Amino acid sequence: MAMSAVARDTVFALRRQIAKIEGTLPERLQAPAPGAPADVTGSDMTIVRRGLAVAAADAFLRTGIERLDAALGGGLPRAALSEIHGLETRDAGTVAGFALSLVSLILKEKQGLPILWVGTAEIFHEAGLPYARGLHALFGIEPEQLLFSEAPKLLDALWIAEEAARMTAFAAVILEVRGSPQRLDLTATRRLHARAQNASRPLLLLRQAGEADPTAAPVRLIVSAAPAASRETVAGPLAGSIGRPAFKVDIGKSRTALPGQFTLEWNPNEHAFAERTENSVAVVPASGRGTDPAPASGAVLAFPALAAPATGDQPSRQQHPAHRSPRRAG
Amino acid sequence: MISHRDNNTQRIAALDERAEALKLKRGMGIADARAMHPSIDVVEADAEADRRLLEGLADWCDRYTPLVAIDAEDGLFLDVTGCTHLFGGERAMQDEILTRFFQQGFDVRAGLASTPGAAWAAARFHGDRIVAGGEEEALLAPLPLSALRIAPETRAGLESVGLRTAGAVMAAPRAPLARRFGASLLLRLDQALGRLDEAVSPRLPVAPLSVERHLAEPVVLTDEIERLVSRLAVALKSDLERRGEGARTLALLLFRVDGAVSRIAVGTSRPMREPRLIQRLFHERLTALEQSIDAGFGFDLVRLSVLSVAAFDMLQGDLTGEADDDDADIALFADRVRARLGEAAVLKPVVVESHLPERAVKTVPFAEAPQRRAPAAGRAALPRTAPPMTIYPPERPVRLFRSPEPIEVPATEIPEGPPMNFRWRRALYRVARAEGPERIAAEWWRQLPGEEEAPTRDYYHIEDSEGRRYWLYRQGLYSTAPQAAPPRWFMHGVFA
Repeated sequence: MAMSAVARDTVFALRRQIAKIEGTLPERLQAPAPGAPADVTGSDMTIVRRGLAVAAADAFLRTGIERLDAALGGGLPRAALSEIHGLETRDAGTVAGFALSLVSLILKEKQGLPILWVGTAEIFHEAGLPYARGLHALFGIEPEQLLFSEAPKLLDALWIAEEAARMTAFAAVILEVRGSPQRLDLTATRRLHARAQNASRPLLLLRQAGEADPTAAPVRLIVSAAPAASRETVAGPLAGSIGRPAFKVDIGKSRTALPGQFTLEWNPNEHAFAERTENSVAVVPASGRGTDPAPASGAVLAFPALAAPATGDQPSRQQHPAHRSPRRAG
Repeated sequence: MISHRDNNTQRIAALDERAEALKLKRGMGIADARAMHPSIDVVEADAEADRRLLEGLADWCDRYTPLVAIDAEDGLFLDVTGCTHLFGGERAMQDEILTRFFQQGFDVRAGLASTPGAAWAAARFHGDRIVAGGEEEALLAPLPLSALRIAPETRAGLESVGLRTAGAVMAAPRAPLARRFGASLLLRLDQALGRLDEAVSPRLPVAPLSVERHLAEPVVLTDEIERLVSRLAVALKSDLERRGEGARTLALLLFRVDGAVSRIAVGTSRPMREPRLIQRLFHERLTALEQSIDAGFGFDLVRLSVLSVAAFDMLQGDLTGEADDDDADIALFADRVRARLGEAAVLKPVVVESHLPERAVKTVPFAEAPQRRAPAAGRAALPRTAPPMTIYPPERPVRLFRSPEPIEVPATEIPEGPPMNFRWRRALYRVARAEGPERIAAEWWRQLPGEEEAPTRDYYHIEDSEGRRYWLYRQGLYSTAPQAAPPRWFMHGVFA
């Protein structure tokens, strides 16, 4: 997926122009510094933003994925409006899951603070209400930490979100809307962004089935579902099982990053992301929620190969369930 | 003239002076009246509208006393004990009430006495009279028996034995009266004379605290009302401080010049006494109600009452002077949202012990939810909720539909197994992987006796071909019985 050299040159020239307009330091646009991690330099899709004069070290929420953090220039901005898009309403679970995993990362540092989830009545009807029991198991969000607010109209939802974004008492505010409503325009998002900046709290705008409208959010991520990994057992991955949730994340808009795609896996035990690369085996520990099972004792002996079935683990014809085989008359 | 249907005949229920001048009477048949005067105008009585009007007048009378009760179809009781001095004495107060009603176009008669019974009789049989304490007997004695508020049968019985005035009943020996006409006659008599206490039950609970401001020039603008609210709240604060309480429910009453009363209530999730916060709450409420409040010619009386109170815990700020009370911030935020958007605007999940997923989490309005314990500075983490006593807690979706949505399942691989594909919201989904079933049976302990047992649910965790994960269930089991309905499938939630 290498870009043509001309296209890259154009992009860099444009970025330099933007930097001049914004008055930021030009070296952030330089190609990756020599000290940068190898995989970053190896990728031709990202630029590393270094030496940014305005951003403090803790201005970004690190997702824990080196490549994604580098692409976003340090991570997701902490004091800002961030957009998370889902392409279709049926992706609502995935988008909500990704947003909640970000919230879970935030809560690692701000323990005990509540979060507020604002949604319109339409989206809660279409995509379901947040379910406290599921949130606790997967993201470690206690039921008493969650507040949610169902607004009959979008304007009311925007008002609630704005008022909530002013406050520092919430660890994060999630605003969820469906589609691309007219009211959620550049002005409205700019207001939200300004409130989030002042309170230095993240405001996540979830847009289910939304278009990529111009908004004030510096970062837009497009999240879609990815097949979950299989459950890990002692004997390797268990075929046909559904393990940890996975998300496919595209960077839809960012000041620094070129478009790129990442497949992230959420580890509910450690509350951390792990990146899934193609054909990789999971690097997470095998045991789920407990200690490792006791190792097998004694020497392992092979069974004598009396009647080894020809097709591996497939049961023999005699062992097949009765209802599968055609019944003979009589 | 107003008619009503009584005993299958249209009769005159009420009539104006001009009709009275034509020698028409109450209770006369409409047919007779029409025969006498064909030109009369007859309107059907509307008891509901009369009632509403009376309620409205009772609301308006709130400006004189908080204790207003409705008496039958056409009367109001005002308990003005301790209120008269505010209006310059009994006579001045009664005159003002009568004048104001007259200006609104009502023909009212008022009586003021130290007992409800005597006041009732004075209003109905004298018109405009103030009965001093101790004069009840002199007032009642010449009046007919109906002044005693007794049942018509009792009255007829008394008249048949020759007792035609209240004075005659008072003079008669009590014991035979009680034996013959029951205790209620003597009870009414004693109440009217003040020998027994009679409580007037007010139609609205009396606010523990209220402050009000009469305005010479009526206010119209919302901003001015808000400014008045904050001034009234300042006055309220000292009262609340003296009592060591904070307000949980507040009501703002706006009395319009022409008699309409607007009642605006806000609730708080924790006791509150700070005028600034009270004003902010009312600001939200007034913004939300801007369209529905009609200021008309303006409001000439604004009253702020505290409807319910709770003990107010004093908090000591730290030395830096900035009390870092996040919970209070959130409570205020929730109250403001609630003031603007209604009771259910901010919700909080509460975990309930139940196996059924939709019962296991209850959502309650923020104000009713149990308060979160504030994380003290010393304690880093909250005490976690105890995990259930299973090694692997069952997996639950992140979003749950409000009510399970029916889906079509054409085929399953094995009879009691997960579906191979399913149709939900008119789209076809192909199942790539499935886990389950997790069987959740109905909770028999909630079942009413005689009720049929709800079918069990088998929940499956499904991943479709594009990687989305769903939680669906089959209600009931496949059965070989001939009339058995096939089990139905539902979508209940989505996983991350």
